[in-house]
Amino acid sequence: MSKIFKSLTVLLVLLFSISTVSAKTLTERLADGHKLRLGFGTAVPWAYAGDGGEALGFVNMIALTVLEEMGITEHETKVFEWSGLIPGLNADRADMITGGMYILKSRCENMDFSDPIGVFGDAMLVPKGNPKNINNYADVISTGAKLVTGTGFNTVEAAKKYGVPDSQMLLVEGEVGILAAMKAGRADVAVQTFFGAKEHEKKTNGKFEVTDPKLMPKETLNVVGIGFRKGDDKFREAFNAALAKVMANPATMLKRAGEYGYDKAQLPPPDMSTAWACSTK
Amino acid sequence: MTYFEFLNEHGITLLLGTVTTVKVLVCSMILYVIISMIFGLMRLSKNPVIQGTATVYIEFFRGTSLLVQLFWAYYVLPFFGISLEAFTAGVVALGLNFGAYGAEIVRAGILAVPKGQWEAAHALNFTPAKRIKRIIIPQIFPIILPPAANLTVELLKATALVALVTVVDLTFEAKQINSITWLSAQCFGTALLIYYIMARFALVPFLRWLEVLAARKVGKEKA
Amino acid sequence: MEMGWRWDFTYEILPQMAIATLNTILAAGVGYVIALVVGLFFLLAQRTPSKIFNWVNRELVEFIRSTPLLIQLFFVYFVLPQFGITLSAWMCGMITIGLHFGTYMSEVYRGALEGVSKTQWEACRALNFSTIYTYRRIVLPQAFPIAIPGMGNYLVGIFKDTPLLSTIGVAELFHAATAVGGYNYRYLEPYTLVGVIFLTLSIPAAMWVRKLERDVNISQGKIKK
Repeated sequence: MSKIFKSLTVLLVLLFSISTVSAKTLTERLADGHKLRLGFGTAVPWAYAGDGGEALGFVNMIALTVLEEMGITEHETKVFEWSGLIPGLNADRADMITGGMYILKSRCENMDFSDPIGVFGDAMLVPKGNPKNINNYADVISTGAKLVTGTGFNTVEAAKKYGVPDSQMLLVEGEVGILAAMKAGRADVAVQTFFGAKEHEKKTNGKFEVTDPKLMPKETLNVVGIGFRKGDDKFREAFNAALAKVMANPATMLKRAGEYGYDKAQLPPPDMSTAWACSTK
Repeated sequence: MTYFEFLNEHGITLLLGTVTTVKVLVCSMILYVIISMIFGLMRLSKNPVIQGTATVYIEFFRGTSLLVQLFWAYYVLPFFGISLEAFTAGVVALGLNFGAYGAEIVRAGILAVPKGQWEAAHALNFTPAKRIKRIIIPQIFPIILPPAANLTVELLKATALVALVTVVDLTFEAKQINSITWLSAQCFGTALLIYYIMARFALVPFLRWLEVLAARKVGKEKA
Repeated sequence: MEMGWRWDFTYEILPQMAIATLNTILAAGVGYVIALVVGLFFLLAQRTPSKIFNWVNRELVEFIRSTPLLIQLFFVYFVLPQFGITLSAWMCGMITIGLHFGTYMSEVYRGALEGVSKTQWEACRALNFSTIYTYRRIVLPQAFPIAIPGMGNYLVGIFKDTPLLSTIGVAELFHAATAVGGYNYRYLEPYTLVGVIFLTLSIPAAMWVRKLERDVNISQGKIKK
């Protein structure tokens, strides 16, 4: 008897906490009163969490400015491991992901992006003085250097595309892993976003320096979008409309995002649209 | 900054994370105890189906890594229609995993109860259910509590893994502080200290007290 | 993203996962050997003439045993370089696993030594055997079978804890699954494969350990054949 009672309790506890995958779209969920779940990976200065869990970083600032324009003032933040962002989005763990996701074809196949919020480049992080004179992927290959980057980063695809052999690649978890690997001398060079590299240069007081992003292949110039689940089209379109309004009068947005290093140079040019990025990148 | 300055600035964050860790621990403890009892008993059933199910469950959860089970529960289960909150996914994975180990402890405990008890209960015309509930189960506690205590300390340590599936516990906060300040020795060192204090000065004494309580109840008090 | 299981994707990632499995087995093996040695050290360090040294050791063992392996990994990985000791992620992982499981091993050894009946020690003293001879010919051969089940269990335990090494970048099986999953934005097949591979490796291992335990118990006369 008590056996049955106990098994029933377990079942009830489980059922209580199960919520089946929402067949509702984001718009419907928000109308129901659920808070928007903002997901990102720790990538200073793009997106990271403050001591109280609040969303910081320029991508988050832009996203929040747009959300306020849409009338959405409340949200929940969730910090993921970077490689878990898109799977997390699709597993209904978050509604919207920032973090500074480049719009890539492979990503477009698995989720939808908003219109671009900015244009950015990649750069390499090397020890001060750039002893091995590495400025792009070709240099990495020719010097046989060890290249480190984060799992799930766009640079993994890019490195593969430009021919960096697997034996020269080191994959770690996120920005933190990259800097740890560089500091410990486990890699000779890191490749990441220009902003990420700049942040690391600042953090180490110049012990590491950023290479000139113009020396990277031209195709590494990318646009960043906010990620949404496929199927949340209604919300995404409303987001895009609000984003367009914000971009037309970017003063507030630039002020908020400017705290983290974003400036006018990052404003996306009209010819680099999401559709363009999804098909060419 | 000195260690005290560090504690001043980040101590509260770490403590808040600790609260979540305790919550995860308590919830998964309850779950794993329940599962251990159920599956421990099932494993001893004469019915091949029941016994087989229990064996499969135990072998499965003991044979795979907890981290893999956790990630699976968090990232893969939603595609089968079961979307659990991060906290719940963590508790469920921990409970199911440790329940498998606990079931073996319970089974060993039941087998260790002297045969005489079973026979006496049978002679006194107890129904099997009553026999289990009133005679056997109360006697297994002094036997299973020592290994269960070890297992529970393991559980406390295992809760650290839920930080990897976005649960904001002590480990998560330590990682966050590290990623922003790079004061690795301070944040991870403090986290280690907090876990140690929890294990050595809270959890173990509590479990010891349970052992004494159980021994007293069964009349096996140490003089 | 398709919800159904994709066999083509599975076959595509299988080679990578297979190679990574070898890495996992290697990591488990090396870590285990280190743990065996470290365990011995911890055991002996608790039996020195100096009471203070013994006490310090005891506390250290308790500390390492009672704290999560995950945080210990982070500590070694992030803190050591800050003191100028730069080791590869692999080395960090091996050291940490060696230390962590070494403490468990020392407990297994201790239990095994205590399992040898006291009369054996007394007899050796009476017969004037030197300490080394006592250990080598009388005590250790009797202690060893008692220790085997514990040692075997922890081998399986180390194997199942290798996924934690992925958090500091060691390229073992779980890391490969996360990398592949992150690259293709699909976790279903990689993580399921990891689970299956673990099952296929650890269930036979666990069964073998149980058989060892039975054999030990039989040879000790505890259970009948």
